[in-house]
Amino acid sequence: MKKKEHLDVLVVGGGSFGTALATLLSETDKAFEMWVRREELAEEINTRHTNSRYANGHTLPKEIRATTNLAEAVKRASAILMAVPSKSFREVARAVGDTIQGDQILVHTTKGFELDSFKRMSTILREETCTLKTGVFSGPNLAGEIMARHPAGATVASHYNEVIDAIQGLFEGSGRIRVYGGHDVVGTEVGSAFKNIIALAAGASDGMGFGDNTKSLLLTRGLSEMARIGVALGADVFTFSGLTGVGDLMCTCASPLSRNHQVGARLAKGEALDDILNSMTQVAEGVPTTKAVQRYAESVGLDLPIVKAVYRLLFEDWKVPDALAQLMDLPVGDELAALRYR
Amino acid sequence: MRDHDKERVLVEVAHRVFNHYTKDPRTTEQALFDTLYEERIRLETEKDRSKAKKQAAFYRKIRREALQASPTRQSELLKQVIEGFAEEVAGHFDPRVFALATRVAPPALSALLNALSPLRLLAAIPTGMATLDDQIVIEGETEAFKAAAQMGTTVLVSTHLSNLDSIILGYALFRLGLPPYTYGAGLNLFSNKMIGFFLHNLGAYKVDRRKKAEVYKHALKTYAGCTMEHGYHNMFFPGGTRSRSGAVENKLKMGLLGMGLNAYVHNLCNKKPRPDVFVVPCTLNYQLVLEAETLIGDYLQAVGKSRYIIEDDEFSKPKRVADFISKLFSLDSRIHMVVSKPLDVFGNEVDEQGNSRDHRGRIVDRTRYVYRDGEPAFDAQRDQEYTRELARVIADAFHRDTVIKPTHLVSYSILDWLWEKCPGMDFYRVLRTGGSEESIPMTDAYNRVDRILGTLRGLEQKNCVRLDDSLRGKDTGAIVGDALAHLKSYHRRPALLRRGDRLFHEDRNLLLYYHNRLTGFGLPTWEKPQ
Repeated sequence: MKKKEHLDVLVVGGGSFGTALATLLSETDKAFEMWVRREELAEEINTRHTNSRYANGHTLPKEIRATTNLAEAVKRASAILMAVPSKSFREVARAVGDTIQGDQILVHTTKGFELDSFKRMSTILREETCTLKTGVFSGPNLAGEIMARHPAGATVASHYNEVIDAIQGLFEGSGRIRVYGGHDVVGTEVGSAFKNIIALAAGASDGMGFGDNTKSLLLTRGLSEMARIGVALGADVFTFSGLTGVGDLMCTCASPLSRNHQVGARLAKGEALDDILNSMTQVAEGVPTTKAVQRYAESVGLDLPIVKAVYRLLFEDWKVPDALAQLMDLPVGDELAALRYR
Repeated sequence: MRDHDKERVLVEVAHRVFNHYTKDPRTTEQALFDTLYEERIRLETEKDRSKAKKQAAFYRKIRREALQASPTRQSELLKQVIEGFAEEVAGHFDPRVFALATRVAPPALSALLNALSPLRLLAAIPTGMATLDDQIVIEGETEAFKAAAQMGTTVLVSTHLSNLDSIILGYALFRLGLPPYTYGAGLNLFSNKMIGFFLHNLGAYKVDRRKKAEVYKHALKTYAGCTMEHGYHNMFFPGGTRSRSGAVENKLKMGLLGMGLNAYVHNLCNKKPRPDVFVVPCTLNYQLVLEAETLIGDYLQAVGKSRYIIEDDEFSKPKRVADFISKLFSLDSRIHMVVSKPLDVFGNEVDEQGNSRDHRGRIVDRTRYVYRDGEPAFDAQRDQEYTRELARVIADAFHRDTVIKPTHLVSYSILDWLWEKCPGMDFYRVLRTGGSEESIPMTDAYNRVDRILGTLRGLEQKNCVRLDDSLRGKDTGAIVGDALAHLKSYHRRPALLRRGDRLFHEDRNLLLYYHNRLTGFGLPTWEKPQ
């Protein structure tokens, strides 16, 4: 590929989801490239067509090209898809912000909040770049299944129709992903981040050997908590009935492929959190998200019992049976009161 | 406005509004009949009967014909209506008087403000300007504002509390050495003949807010946009109307605000040499507000929505205005105008060289926001979102550059104390009856004022708000004394009165009005009764 060529899209991030997005794009007629931080990874993708750390066992399409020159790649792209973990999101966004201009489209796929500030990723994009045409791409998209070429669906949410149209247009022709549009950026971001907390709880339930009744209880009450915090932050409650709410929740809570689910299950089996995280090559976003959400909920007096239980599991050395028992002992009332009377 | 510009703007306004409503015959028909309906309703209550009769006859004639007309003829009839509106908005402007007014502005404005108090006028003729200079403090990014006005067209957007605001702003512009700004003033402002005369000739155009027709509103908006394109600085209140509650504006009207961006894109498309439009937010800050009683009354009646146009407020009573000005002057109460950093039409800050800067201070090529396939282009949905973004930045600037004064602090503190003493009591009942506590011990008041002032100082350090000089280096007793002197000086009923070592809340509605200036800053507050 010639260096100065225009790109329809640049995928920023060489992790599992960045690689999955590039794989989807390789099935379209769009000109795209991937930015990765490490030279060795770029070399591996470009020459061996693998990403052994984040997409082990998959051969990548030859169309995928990786670069480490962010500024040059950003300059050439009409749209940029950010697929980096929340922890390094601000730093990468700032680097993108050094080059990006107001006519370019910037969409992120990160499912988390900034730990210290509880800021959403789109807020960080606003703070770190000059571009206004931003959005979020999310949904039940386990990277492993996308790499295995299973059909899937996602949502792109933005205040700008131009962004929605452009991102939908990118995946036209892949035949494997249906990209829906929406304007509720807050709801999409909250749903995407929040479901990881419930995945931790669902994993813990599975780890304890509980069945589907327990998981359904956690999932539906988790959805209610998701809607509660979402509405408090300004989301449209209906967003949570979509792909990025209940859709992503079902996916991540049911699948053993979900990293957060794995963390929960291993916690239930008695492993220590540090040991679990150290043994994983990929980031379990649910862990920092739990901390960020619990801090926020406490500061504004929002009652989110499952979040609190997961927080205790992760950071206060509670055992899974105790946390579950405590949840089961909470007083019960009108199931939908918190949403009905908002 | 120069003569040839006036003609051009007039034609352009009529042309654009016409094009907007004639994209398809259904829109044309709807616009025409909606306008005829709205105008008929308005004319039924028009006070000037002979004028109403004439206009009603004109509309009747149009309606008779429109009922049986072809789509082409309907669009011609709509054109007549639009041209009437355009002429009404832009037509009264007299360039010669404008030029004269620009030259004679200093003494004229001084006389104008002093004229509000005839006795004061006599006393101030020799030193009028000096007095006003002392009374109105202009601070903030004044140099950046002036630089922006040199480099492009500026749109001054201000917080709005009183009908005096436009006069103060006019005076401030003169003091900054800037030319008069184009300004859409409500008809009620023109009811005072003296003020009306000056407003007219200082760039103001008449806005008849009784005219509800969309076509008329569109003509107003388009007029503002066209004047911006021709390089005439504009001024308006993006809150749309005076803040009824007394709070700093948070929700801004998008229509007029969006005209800056519209003008900018037009200028880029037309490859104008000076295409830039800069938006300059500013706040006006008073210890006392002339119309406080009427405004808060209206707010409480239907949370501000019952009456959009208030014609019988304090501003329409010359004696009240004179009284207000003289009380304010005698208490040595300064009016603060704070100018915020100029912004581009996308909400980025603009430096004194005219560069847009992002949050990290990096230079931004602002033209690129409106480029599509290498050319500047309109996109209604995109531009609406850009304007929303700008509105958010302006609302932030309004809060950041609000000057908190003793009346705000003390009113907030007293009501905060009162809410705490009335747990579970209905909000309106507390306001009406004062709850179970008819007075507050001075020591409690001082403690509460101290605590809230401490929080405000923290907010000031974080650059979230400004504190008036009168809140600095004074003990709490003096601050409360200052507020009490103001609160009992002008309003019909003192809001707060000290008797012995207790403070009595006499008019809680007024307290609420001044209290509300401090809402929206995230102060920890006792939960309001429901």
